[in-house]
Amino acid sequence: MKLFNTALVILGKLIIGTMKLFRFNGGNLPGIIIQKLRYNCCEIFTIDCPIVACTGTNGKTTVTNFIANMFQQEGKNIITNPEGNNLDTGICSLLLKNCSMTGKVRADCLVLEVDESHVPVIFSQQKLDTLVVLNFFRDQLDRNGEVETLIRKVEGFCKTFDGNLFLNGDDPNVVRLGYANPENKNVRFFSADRYEYATDFLYEAGEGMFCPLCGKALVYDYYQYSHIGRFHCPECGYGNIEPYAKLTKIDLDSRTLTVDGKTYETSYNSIYNMYNLCAVYSVAKFYGFSEETIRNTFMKLKINNGRMEEFSYRGSRLVLNLAKNPVGANMTLRMLNEMKGEKELLFVLNDNIADGCDVSWIWDINFSIFRDVSRVVTSGTRAYDIAIRIKYAGYDYGKIEVYPDLDDAVRELFSKDGQKFAIANYSAVQPVRAALKKFIGGND
Amino acid sequence: MDEIKILHMFPALLNLYGDSGNMEVLKYRCAMRNIRCTVDEYNIDSDITDFSGYDLIYLGGGADLEQNAISGGLMKNKEEIFKAHAAGAFLLLICGGYQLMGKFYRDSNGIEIPGLGLFDYYTTASREKSSRCIGNIIVEAEIDGVSTKIIGFENHGGMTENVKTPLGKVLYGFGNTEKSGYEGYFEKNVIATYLHGPLLSKNPAVADYIIKYCLNRKKSQPAELAPLDDTIENKCREMLLERLLKSNEKD
Repeated sequence: MKLFNTALVILGKLIIGTMKLFRFNGGNLPGIIIQKLRYNCCEIFTIDCPIVACTGTNGKTTVTNFIANMFQQEGKNIITNPEGNNLDTGICSLLLKNCSMTGKVRADCLVLEVDESHVPVIFSQQKLDTLVVLNFFRDQLDRNGEVETLIRKVEGFCKTFDGNLFLNGDDPNVVRLGYANPENKNVRFFSADRYEYATDFLYEAGEGMFCPLCGKALVYDYYQYSHIGRFHCPECGYGNIEPYAKLTKIDLDSRTLTVDGKTYETSYNSIYNMYNLCAVYSVAKFYGFSEETIRNTFMKLKINNGRMEEFSYRGSRLVLNLAKNPVGANMTLRMLNEMKGEKELLFVLNDNIADGCDVSWIWDINFSIFRDVSRVVTSGTRAYDIAIRIKYAGYDYGKIEVYPDLDDAVRELFSKDGQKFAIANYSAVQPVRAALKKFIGGND
Repeated sequence: MDEIKILHMFPALLNLYGDSGNMEVLKYRCAMRNIRCTVDEYNIDSDITDFSGYDLIYLGGGADLEQNAISGGLMKNKEEIFKAHAAGAFLLLICGGYQLMGKFYRDSNGIEIPGLGLFDYYTTASREKSSRCIGNIIVEAEIDGVSTKIIGFENHGGMTENVKTPLGKVLYGFGNTEKSGYEGYFEKNVIATYLHGPLLSKNPAVADYIIKYCLNRKKSQPAELAPLDDTIENKCREMLLERLLKSNEKD
């Protein structure tokens, strides 16, 4: 078996070498090929350092990048997948690039973003030290199944896991993972105090309204967004957590947050990123990173991958944000509303396999809160579906323009000056970035 | 002013796949025609006991967990729902709502949840948990005497059998079972279907059929609906029909 593993490693490296030779960027293709030959494709490696993994519906790319950045600032040599590729085949490809000819992976730490459904797959093959779980929202129902199915997969893994668990203590879908293995003494929760725009009632479609332990309806002190908030079960006390890290004084205008008595500046100004930073902080605290490292990373790091990414064209500013599920989209609309003055919106909706082919989730987006949007341009393979959605939310359909072709849509959007906002779902976000860059580059 | 009264049952729990959007579509299409459309919500702790004032009773689809949670609450209203159906109120039932009105639902572990038994069909989930009918679907149905293609998205593990009067014939996708070739259940005042999307968003003809039925059920002189500007909906339909039916030919 050992010989076979080594042969697979060498084959994998040959594939990568060949791809490089032809300048072909195949992402996780090497891993896909190796998996055809050996199903447990991550098992062929010998890893002698700790693995830190981050999972959850929204925010895992951001959190993984932040944790990786902190390790690097502390002078550690790490291996990470900053651009996703978070399935077993993606991780296999990453390790192939970073291992010796015999499959040995040498680093101080592996910092990995992992798809929720692949947590049990990958970490039955390699020993995990630390798992960070951000949230569980409805996301790509046709691909992932109901959110409950997905939670159960991760829960199943946690039943026998005795490593470090960092859990969002304000998400009832995540807190239950802390109960999966009663023997595990390494469970820690992070939480956040009520912020300015928190509500007393559920504002957007949410999951997990019932206690997973006893079935009673959960009671909330406040909702930060979707079903994230301070909750507890009046019957059995589920949710009464003791946070390891707790954000206080969240101020989105000054972009600051306070934790453990210290105030930090960040480049982010949304509540969901505050939770992401809280997850990052928990890990930093646990691994003993210096205050300087935390301060630097919080202040300077900004991920340019279509997550609140800014573009400008002849005095028009455009902010692009990825929204691949209702919660992400609702958060983005809140930010659009917080942007002062009139603006135009570009919404790009695809239904490729990576998106899930079911686009009915757009009906869980609360478009009725739209403010000061002077025009909507829609695009993507489901450009008409999103146009219909916005129409039935009560927006004047005379101001909706549909351009299935992305280049046409971008050209149309910039035919008028002014502030712009763009929302793109998963497979649309990179093409939108490319189309924006092409247009701006070609016309400036 | 004309008026339609809707009872939306368990909106908070049966709202997977954006099914509450159907209510938005009905409200919008009524508002554009100056028809008053009121939607009352029936939740677990609701004190509504008399359904006789409603023209339409609506149930969406839910996750298994939520579906179990409401089955008791639904049973409690069995008599009112039977009476409403017999009196000619319209029933719009999506996915879980469709299944629960049949004789029973047997889940993938073999456990049987009794249905309301309003209709003769019954549903069995495949023992193979991974085998589900998922994807875009097109159904050819006769609505108001006109043949129309209904477009939606299906995602169900339950296979519904013994359907005597289906909604229509499947042109693309699965339907009631993996192989039946037919989708949904239909009576003049019942549309029960697996179609999400939500159903009415891409099928204005179905939405208008329901509105017209509800308006006219108590009138001696049936009225016609004023036409609306459905340009975006029609373009959307055109594009999807072409894409899906063309890919069918290739298969």
